[in-house]
Amino acid sequence: MSTTVVETHRPIWRRLIGFNLLTGIVFGVVGYYIGWFIGHHITGASVAYFSGIDQNDISVTLGYLLGVGGFLIGLGFGVYPWARIRGYPPSLREKETQGASRYFGLCTDHKVVGIQYMIGIGLFFFIGGLNAMLIRVELLRPASQVFPAGQYLTLVGMHGTMMMGIMTSAILGPFANYFVPLMIGARRMAFPRIESLTFWLLMAAGAILTTTIFFGGFPTGWTGYEPLNSQANTGMDSYLVFFALVGISMCLLGLNMLATIITMRAPGLTWSRLPIFCWGVVSTAILNLLAAPVLIAVLGMAVFDRTVQTTFFNPQGGGSPYLYQNLFWVFGHPEVYILALPGMGIVLEILPVFARKPLWGYRLAVSGLLGVTLLSWLVWQHHLFVSGINSDLRPFYMLSTELISIPTGFTFLCGLMTLWRGQIRFSVPLLFSLAWFFNFLIGGLSGVFLSDVPSDVTTHGSFFSMAHFHYTIMGGLVFAFFAAIYFWAPKMFGYTLNERLGKIHFWVMFISFNSTFAPLFAIGFLGQPRRTVTYAQHLQFLNDWVSISAFILGGSMLIFLYNFVYSLLFARIRAPQNPWSSVSLEWQLPTPVPLHNFDRIPVITGEPYGYGSPGIAAIPAAGPAGGSA
Amino acid sequence: MTEFAAHETDYEVVEGEPAELLGRNLNSAGHLLASATAFFFLAFLFAYFYLRSLNNAGLWHPKHVSPPVTLGTLVMALTVLSATLVRLGVADQRAARRPEWRLKAAIALAVGIGAIVVQVVAWTTMGFGPADGGYASVFFGWTAFNILFIVGALYWLENLLATAIRYRNVPVGADPKPGHASGDPGRPGHDIGNPLSLVRPGLEALSFYWTFLAGLGVLAWVVLYLL
Repeated sequence: MSTTVVETHRPIWRRLIGFNLLTGIVFGVVGYYIGWFIGHHITGASVAYFSGIDQNDISVTLGYLLGVGGFLIGLGFGVYPWARIRGYPPSLREKETQGASRYFGLCTDHKVVGIQYMIGIGLFFFIGGLNAMLIRVELLRPASQVFPAGQYLTLVGMHGTMMMGIMTSAILGPFANYFVPLMIGARRMAFPRIESLTFWLLMAAGAILTTTIFFGGFPTGWTGYEPLNSQANTGMDSYLVFFALVGISMCLLGLNMLATIITMRAPGLTWSRLPIFCWGVVSTAILNLLAAPVLIAVLGMAVFDRTVQTTFFNPQGGGSPYLYQNLFWVFGHPEVYILALPGMGIVLEILPVFARKPLWGYRLAVSGLLGVTLLSWLVWQHHLFVSGINSDLRPFYMLSTELISIPTGFTFLCGLMTLWRGQIRFSVPLLFSLAWFFNFLIGGLSGVFLSDVPSDVTTHGSFFSMAHFHYTIMGGLVFAFFAAIYFWAPKMFGYTLNERLGKIHFWVMFISFNSTFAPLFAIGFLGQPRRTVTYAQHLQFLNDWVSISAFILGGSMLIFLYNFVYSLLFARIRAPQNPWSSVSLEWQLPTPVPLHNFDRIPVITGEPYGYGSPGIAAIPAAGPAGGSA
Repeated sequence: MTEFAAHETDYEVVEGEPAELLGRNLNSAGHLLASATAFFFLAFLFAYFYLRSLNNAGLWHPKHVSPPVTLGTLVMALTVLSATLVRLGVADQRAARRPEWRLKAAIALAVGIGAIVVQVVAWTTMGFGPADGGYASVFFGWTAFNILFIVGALYWLENLLATAIRYRNVPVGADPKPGHASGDPGRPGHDIGNPLSLVRPGLEALSFYWTFLAGLGVLAWVVLYLL
């Protein structure tokens, strides 16, 4: 039996020289300076047209683009296209070696890419979270104290942009890449190199966004609104290139997921037998595929406005800033569901395992996910209610936004009915899933206030809307993310995360999360606007409360980090193959999962959630291999 | 509930993954990519009608902004011609007329490159720049990205053509000698069973996408030059 595993025993210095992250960084820096040099040449006297431009956005933008190109070439992404240009036949798998080095470059093993995503996204989540802590430090006092207004805006912008950009792949990146092939009985993703490319593009994007501090930051927040966008200094270019790269990554990720699920399902795995998590992935991937191109297009227009002086968004030149707002939210509102839908899929996947019942209303749940996907295209103008849109448009967008609560309600109904009279075991993944319901309910209900024109007029742009979207996005996405980590870590890493530490993490995070964001509803009602460094004196108590809660919330992440490192590196208690007694296909595989997943292609002969069927244990036969810290 | 198929496969079989599966993947990808491309250009279509309806500062379409209709028509015609040649090449490929399809693909590639050249000529010779109002902005943005997508499609075509030329003497159904495009230096052989048989599904997927892109080019021509 032959495998593609290539054992490498070369000395370390020799291994550092090949295509890997180190080479990628070096090539990236070189590429940046080549672009920077070309940009300066263009903006010099050689081309008269550009000589009148007062800031050198061309240099910065070209630097970033060539830097990304160099980074990818250094990682090894240039080898295959170059060979194909010369006519060599295609291949599927690349750099599927053993050892730690496979995590630091191009690798086509979907399980490696899943773990790369988890670590990479975790890194940028940490940076975004640190920004949030700094914001709350600043808001401990009503007057500006640590950061001047401009720096504060950059801080808020970096936090929001990092979270809304990188976290779009928080579920699909680690968990869908790792588990979709296993769940559908496939040996790989449809396009393994593209799978790896999506990850490294995201990492390049995150690095570029952090460099904005060298160019003075950007003042627009995560939405990048015009005309501030066009007027901002070169730090704005970091934002534009960052989000465009995120958009390309999202689009390719969605394409790859859809192609995989459409074409590579095992025999017998009909659409009506597809695990609900995969349906969540399908819904999200559709939005990724179709919404991200609109984002790339609008950012392309903004880059053109800043570099070659087009006037898409300049009203004095025949353009309009409202064009930006419209196009941005055509992407931006589906993006909210790109963040929420995978969480719904994960929660509905986990509940049957811990309730020992089949998923209630499978088809209803699927229709809920698809209904949200469809309706998310019809609501974007509610973000423009107070921007001066034609008032005749308001009722339609108000109603279409409120309508979206119906398919969302389907998923709630299916989840709660699955729990009804189940043999519930309150393990950590289930706790996070239940918290998801609580948080998302509050987020959803407060969303009705924002979709309703009369109340939106008073709450728009205030901390109320900030509380709302943190309840939906952090309450929905991040809680589902942790549910997924605790649930799937035994399969991904071969070790179970410590249950006791996990419960401590959960309770501290759940309580501090609500203690942080619930008061923001009140703060918003009392009139504190977003993105403003100062606030009224009488709001200090509430703001201090929120800041202290936020610090505890940040501390809860450290509990998780400690648990993660302790369990995987020090305790190292081997997890059984199927610690939760799940009937799902991924748990039937040995741990660690073999390189090519399946020796034999499985044939699916039944429903995905056959709990209660003969032969399925009513209560998990073996608990997770936990232990005390 | 899951059971396993009677036919056992091991990693040797995995290494020779059937090309039909990849063909299906390429077919799906071609359609999905077309959907994404449509939404991308939808943004420019929206921008066109939005800015035209607002006509801010009366600068939607100043009098001196006159699009190069002849060159624009030529770009569109060359794109359509190239896509048509690729479609005809698919028919040749299916009928195992290998030299004929290679010839058509080579001409299609040259015609596609010609479209790019004509577009560059149009940009450099017309009498207005990107800063000359809303229409000029949409014109430059739309045509620039259109060319970018054309370059991508032509790269795909070149890959298929180069493989077909490099292995032109390999009999139908035979495996080529090792020399795959993977970046693994230690790889002993192909991981796709008969990778040359992938040329046809690749060509079919490309043909769909290229035709779709040419259709978008026609739409762009109508909107930018005729309306």
